[in-house]
Amino acid sequence: MIPILGLAAGVLLGLFFDPTVPVWLQPYLPIAVVAALDAVFGGFRARLDGIFDAKVFVISFVSNVVVAALIVFLGDQLGVGAQLSTAVVVVLGIRIFGNAAAIRRHVFRA
Amino acid sequence: MGASLLDAVLAETLDPAYAQAAAARSSDGGAPRPRRWDRVVVALTMAVAGLLVAVTYDQAAASVEGRDEVRVALVDDIRTDSAVSDELAAQLESLRTEVTRTRDDLLAASAVGQRARDALARAEESAGAVPVSGPGLLVTLANADPSADEDPVGGGTAEEDPREQVQDGDLQLVVNALWAAGAEAISINGQRLGPTTAIRFAGEAVLVDFRPVTNPYEISAIGDPDSLSAEFLASPEVGALAVISQTFGLRFEYAEEEELSVPAASVPELRSAVPEGPDDPAPDPTPGG
Repeated sequence: MIPILGLAAGVLLGLFFDPTVPVWLQPYLPIAVVAALDAVFGGFRARLDGIFDAKVFVISFVSNVVVAALIVFLGDQLGVGAQLSTAVVVVLGIRIFGNAAAIRRHVFRA
Repeated sequence: MGASLLDAVLAETLDPAYAQAAAARSSDGGAPRPRRWDRVVVALTMAVAGLLVAVTYDQAAASVEGRDEVRVALVDDIRTDSAVSDELAAQLESLRTEVTRTRDDLLAASAVGQRARDALARAEESAGAVPVSGPGLLVTLANADPSADEDPVGGGTAEEDPREQVQDGDLQLVVNALWAAGAEAISINGQRLGPTTAIRFAGEAVLVDFRPVTNPYEISAIGDPDSLSAEFLASPEVGALAVISQTFGLRFEYAEEEELSVPAASVPELRSAVPEGPDDPAPDPTPGG
């Protein structure tokens, strides 16, 4: 329950305070969001599996976001930013789908 | 190898670190850890995730909004500037009329001046610098109607066949045939063709004398209607154009008119020639585009 409250608080904070993001960081926000979603779904699934660990969750979240943004940044520097973004979205998307399916099996037993 | 990579991506959707941590805990005998801090840290991380989502959503929405705003502002700019340009053109026209009248008044004072005025009038007529009217031929060229047999699903956005649109070349062909047939003055949609007027394509628009003219194109040619239409129709290029327009559904019509009037052409700018004078700076060449 508390994590969901935290998520809601974060969304409200972001919508109300509307923080300005430096321009150089803006291209990496969408990919960071996908990476964060992957970590959140993974954490939720781990909790349902009964093996949730706060340390693993926090580290996986931070590293996911940073690595995803870093890969895209590197791709931008090498001129393959769009392709690497696609690669990151595909891999993380598959993982999100897999975790969502596992969560569904837990919740609906189907 | 390739299959195993995909298999790994598809099968290991959960971070293996969770399982390892769980195994380590159970081997430790499930030592109780400070649960309170775990919750705070997890809640904070979730808050960061929410913040990230909200900020990204804001950014995306703002950039769409910004694009729309910029577009509207640019369209407004274009409207204002074309209004200004029209106004200036009208001003130029009235000033030029005034100059002409003053000059004619001054020249009429002497015999030499009168001869000069007559010579000037003839030169201006050939240069298309004065509006003229008279009988002639009115040729209409228009794009093909959107064909009814087009795919109704994609109809709105379907690429139009460029051959179903009147091209600059078609207009050039008609105009050249009209000159060859003895036309004395020609205008396209009210744009007089002077000696240096170009008919060009820019994107989707046909430019006559660098001003856009739009479909349908009405070409007024002043001259003896009978010989004009006879020679115009006899020209092989016009025959070819008639076949093309029939094939692609372009509208290509002509009619003899008793009274046509064409406006004055814009006076060509001097680009290299500089009037002799002590105070003239270097000319400011405007690129013709």
